[in-house]
Amino acid sequence: MCLSRSGVNRLTISKPLGKSPTALLEKIRESLDKLNEKMEVFIELQKQRRNQDLIVQDLPEALDVMTLLSLPDHLRKTAVSICKLGRATAQEVAEQTKRARAVESGYLNQLVLMSYLKKERKGRKAYFFVEK
Amino acid sequence: MGKIIAIHSYKGGTGKTLLTINLAAIYARRGKKVCVLDLDFRAPSLQSIFKLGGSEYWLNDYLNGACEINKVLFNYTPQCECSGTMLVGLANPATEALRDMSAKDRKWEMRALGRLLSLKNTLLNDRELDYLLLDTSPGLQYSSINAIVSADLVLVVSTIDASDIEGTKRMTHELYDLFEKKTAILMNKVPIEFLSTPVERDSVYKRFENTHTLPILKIIPCFCDVLRAGGTKIFVRDEPDHPFTEHLQEIATKIEKF
Repeated sequence: MCLSRSGVNRLTISKPLGKSPTALLEKIRESLDKLNEKMEVFIELQKQRRNQDLIVQDLPEALDVMTLLSLPDHLRKTAVSICKLGRATAQEVAEQTKRARAVESGYLNQLVLMSYLKKERKGRKAYFFVEK
Repeated sequence: MGKIIAIHSYKGGTGKTLLTINLAAIYARRGKKVCVLDLDFRAPSLQSIFKLGGSEYWLNDYLNGACEINKVLFNYTPQCECSGTMLVGLANPATEALRDMSAKDRKWEMRALGRLLSLKNTLLNDRELDYLLLDTSPGLQYSSINAIVSADLVLVVSTIDASDIEGTKRMTHELYDLFEKKTAILMNKVPIEFLSTPVERDSVYKRFENTHTLPILKIIPCFCDVLRAGGTKIFVRDEPDHPFTEHLQEIATKIEKF
């Protein structure tokens, strides 16, 4: 059973979705995880903007070693891997870092949003790389 | 596959360069294929030790993308009198080059890291080297951190100087740990009276290990002969029976097993 909003802004009991409560909770957890990832990106971007305001000429997009040192631990591990691999998929990074592919995918996309990495799609695969 | 070893320290004058060239010579004399690169672009020193004269291409050019690594490397095997191979890559000691290297921007440093990381393929995979030793600048310099990121093992050389020990401790937490590097400490120039009996030696080892929270690979006593040689002697070749050489041989064996 789950609740849904009717056309007249009234809460009514909808038809059962055929999913167990555990599956629904799992779905909620996944959504919260995604939300968390997005929040982390916002926080990082906010920090970057603050730094940019302080040092205007210091370009944030160069993934040099000092930038690597300033990244949070989980992102640094991913960034170092991509520096070593040059150009790689989330799966290839996951094999290096021994973390789950989905986790690496999230971190790589965060690094793309932070302008440290570029992403390119080829067929079904997404490749991440540092733009030299 | 071979290993990349970065030799680093918090302060200057700890003996990094002397240890680097002697370790390289030991491996080459053990029949290994070795390459030493001078990544101390602020104060290059390998050219005066190896007395290799001028070069058409320097490591600076390789990192600038102006040439491939093969153009930079000297074959030092005959002078080393070894059964293996010893290659040497030098940093340009000209004042203009020092100035140029200190003015590089972050984008350049990022590309330099990529060039350094690619040596794993060109030197260890393609040329099948056993060891690539990177002699670095002391402290938190771009070229040194690039070397640390590229390395499989970081050897940190420290003296008993209080500020050196303090700085090394800080770098352990704020640099080596952050890059999850295998790191070991070499205590160098330790007064011989600290190590006169096995009990004293053990207590010194424990004291340094507790302070650094890292394995102490070796405590090397301060030898007047080493100081007298002015950092130019390849002890392994010129004085194979000297106690300093014996210490270096033990270090080389420990690194092989590390």
